Amino acid sequence: MRSRDGDKNISRSVSAVIFLLCSLALNASEHLISYRYLVKNAILYNESLDISKSMLACKGEARESIVFESPDDDNLKRIISTNNEEFIAFIHKIGLSVEHKEKTTNFTNSSTTILTLKTTCFKVDFNDTFVRISALK
Amino acid sequence: MKYSLVLLALLSVASFAAPAQDTPTENEMEVTTIAAPSTSTINVSCPTKTCTKRNVLQKAKPMMMQNNVLKKDRFMLISVVGQGVAPMNTASPAQAYALAKRAAIADAYRLIAEKVKGVRVEGQDLIQNMMVKRSSVRTSVAAMVRDANVVETTFKEGLCEVEMEIKISHAQFPQ
Repeated sequence: MRSRDGDKNISRSVSAVIFLLCSLALNASEHLISYRYLVKNAILYNESLDISKSMLACKGEARESIVFESPDDDNLKRIISTNNEEFIAFIHKIGLSVEHKEKTTNFTNSSTTILTLKTTCFKVDFNDTFVRISALK
Repeated sequence: MKYSLVLLALLSVASFAAPAQDTPTENEMEVTTIAAPSTSTINVSCPTKTCTKRNVLQKAKPMMMQNNVLKKDRFMLISVVGQGVAPMNTASPAQAYALAKRAAIADAYRLIAEKVKGVRVEGQDLIQNMMVKRSSVRTSVAAMVRDANVVETTFKEGLCEVEMEIKISHAQFPQ
């Protein structure tokens, strides 16, 4: 027969684990991010980074992830704009679609390169002092 | 006595037959193998025109292609240098640098795609009254590039150069 003290111990440990998990991951959400820019004759044009909250739950497993320091901030756009360069490098690492067209008419050359990250779902874990952004596949 | 004569005759016939079999082998030695750039096999005949028999002709496999193909469980490191230019109307030198670097990265991505996947080339010449009126060449490439690393970045007189590397395994390489 199980003692009452033993049951209490188990319930205490379970509640402690739940509390720990809740304190570690304060808030988790999913965001849709797309990125695109155009390079015409070696000059950059129309760079755009679109971030929006996902209205539907995303499917897939997390692959590469990046961590930013964010003391008490749960606004993803602000966090990304603060760490803009690192996030763009992370997007390049994930992989971009390259589309290049070049035309030479009467020995005059012109080229257009478009780099695109198609709309991808990212899992964002907001914690006390940092935020983890993971691309879902 | 009779049997010994017959045996002697057989031995002499065998000794004559042996060099006769070696003769075509000497002819075959003259056949040279030429490395062909194409994947198709080619027929190579004797250069000295001494061997006239059909069976002497051999099929030579292209050697150059065999050496360049990425083998299983092997990696290939591709390195490119992309170039980008800062636009004229920038607010600050820092903005010019950032924009030029982004353009250089795009150029490096394009070079990687061209090296790995190849380029589609279309050319058109318009000739009128025996003169070239218009000559145009269009090239295009489309690919997905991931896991490329920036090795070095230099910015000098408005031109940004980005050295980029990518490691490609046998499984990733388009066959």
